Amino acid sequence: MNKKLVGVVVALVVILAIFMLFVWLGGGVLGVSRFQTGENPVLRFVFVIVGLLVALGVYLGTKESKAWEVGTRQVVWMAIGAALYAVFSWLFNGTVFVVPSVSQVALRPAIAIPMFFGYAFGPIVGFFTGAVGNMFGDALTGFGLYPQWSIGNGLIGFIAGLPMLFADKKKSLDSVLIAGGVLAAVATVIYFLNRNEINQLVYPFDQPVSLMAGISILFGFMLVLVVRFAFGKNIDIAAAVTWGMLGNILGIGFAAISDIWINGYSPATAIVGEFLPAAGPNLIFAAILVPLLVVAYAAVQRQSGR
Amino acid sequence: MLVSWRYRDRKSLIQWFDPRAWLIFYACFLVCTLFFWDLRFLSFFFVIAVVVLVTSGVTWKEMRRAFFFIIGFVIFYALLTFLTGRGGVEAYKQEHLIRSLAAPFTVFGWRPTLNISVERSFFAVSQLARVFSVAIMTILIPYTLNPALYGITFRGLGFPDKIAYAMDLTMRFIPTFGRDFQLTMDAQRARGYELDKIRGGLIQQVRKLGPIIVPVTIHAIIGSEDIIDAMDLRAFGIGPRSWLEQLIYRRRDRILIAAGVLLLVLSFALLVLGYGSFWVPEFLVRLAGG
Repeated sequence: MNKKLVGVVVALVVILAIFMLFVWLGGGVLGVSRFQTGENPVLRFVFVIVGLLVALGVYLGTKESKAWEVGTRQVVWMAIGAALYAVFSWLFNGTVFVVPSVSQVALRPAIAIPMFFGYAFGPIVGFFTGAVGNMFGDALTGFGLYPQWSIGNGLIGFIAGLPMLFADKKKSLDSVLIAGGVLAAVATVIYFLNRNEINQLVYPFDQPVSLMAGISILFGFMLVLVVRFAFGKNIDIAAAVTWGMLGNILGIGFAAISDIWINGYSPATAIVGEFLPAAGPNLIFAAILVPLLVVAYAAVQRQSGR
Repeated sequence: MLVSWRYRDRKSLIQWFDPRAWLIFYACFLVCTLFFWDLRFLSFFFVIAVVVLVTSGVTWKEMRRAFFFIIGFVIFYALLTFLTGRGGVEAYKQEHLIRSLAAPFTVFGWRPTLNISVERSFFAVSQLARVFSVAIMTILIPYTLNPALYGITFRGLGFPDKIAYAMDLTMRFIPTFGRDFQLTMDAQRARGYELDKIRGGLIQQVRKLGPIIVPVTIHAIIGSEDIIDAMDLRAFGIGPRSWLEQLIYRRRDRILIAAGVLLLVLSFALLVLGYGSFWVPEFLVRLAGG
């Protein structure tokens, strides 16, 4: 592991420790009943801060890289990304298109946008696209604002943009693949151990997570593997899809796990009821739509010369 | 060409204030509603939302479509919660049944039963109140925030220049991309592409979304080059940015902000003191024989 990665990991661990201390103090020691697990609105904002600190930690660990530049181009791209993500989320959230979900795997193609924008334009653009796009999309649909999911979406774009930090994209690909694979496998195992968990993302909230939704993450991961090796020569596609996958797992994982404290879910409910039905299908879209976007954008770049 | 939100200059309560002050108040309002499940407190916020709506000067014709959607969505959501009782399980422990309607049939061995309890009905009502208040306040924002002021508003709230401008651009682009999406849909439809009838396995379905998502995205990115050039030619980002409009806080704005913060602090205090959790009026419980 090189110095950069070590810096990133240390920052993450420290932040998590600070947060756990806060919850223990507020809930356990002071005994404030609403601070304890259960309906806990204050924690949403704590998690927002945690997510931001995570991103900040990564930044601090790798400050010298050119990927952190925010110039005119990045400003315009992040605005476009956020607007596109907002519009697509709104359109496919059931307002304009009521697309029948195949056994609880609802179509959310919009997720390809933060992943693609993050990969193509960098982590800051990716974060803004995911977070602000999610905020506006939810506000347009009328869902209301769920800050921890906005940050989770922001993290998807952020992590998808991390390959820009590494000069040689190819080397890190395999370790990212392995990490993603392990996480996907763990989540699926937890699913099979908890078949009765209710799917929290699908009306009427009392259906156990279907088999399709449960294994969707494994399925998605298989697709990512296929794309990675089928397009092995095209480093851009492989890297975009792989890092997008990691971003998806970690970003959605962040939001779902934060609900353990915010909504008082059990860990099994958070992982099986929220994480799987969201992250799994997202992965499937990532594997299919992101390569399309990468190829199209590469063609545009060749044409316009920039 | 840009399409824009339906903003008009109106004489109304919202527009009487500095947009920054209003956004701050809106944020406090949002956070406060999150703290309460108690209908008595929620109705206070609901009343505020309705007052704002009525005095906003936005005509019914203007917001009819958005409103119908919100109403439909809110009622659907509350109804679902009511029918299934999910979500309330965290808020109440005991249920006093008013009536239990069992279906005369079973579906795969499971008998659909509707347990109408006092708690559940009241929970649905509380949820209606809360979601509605938030929705009303949110929906009014694009109608009452002057687009010329987007950038300076975010800058005035403390965001760095570039981020404020990015948010300005985002809000301006949303209607445009909505329109682009519609154009692309029509163009593709003329070439035989059908989005309404998506058949096939999951992978097929996702692939079918490609012809609509990719063109809109790439078109947006291509268009961005012109905007980037325009901004660069006007020396964007070189020094601190100046804005055409100026926003000055007047006394009424300071009062609004103070009110918002006071509301937030009070709500938080009530939260810590243990008030505000789900409540059902006593007489209803007795009615149910509890």
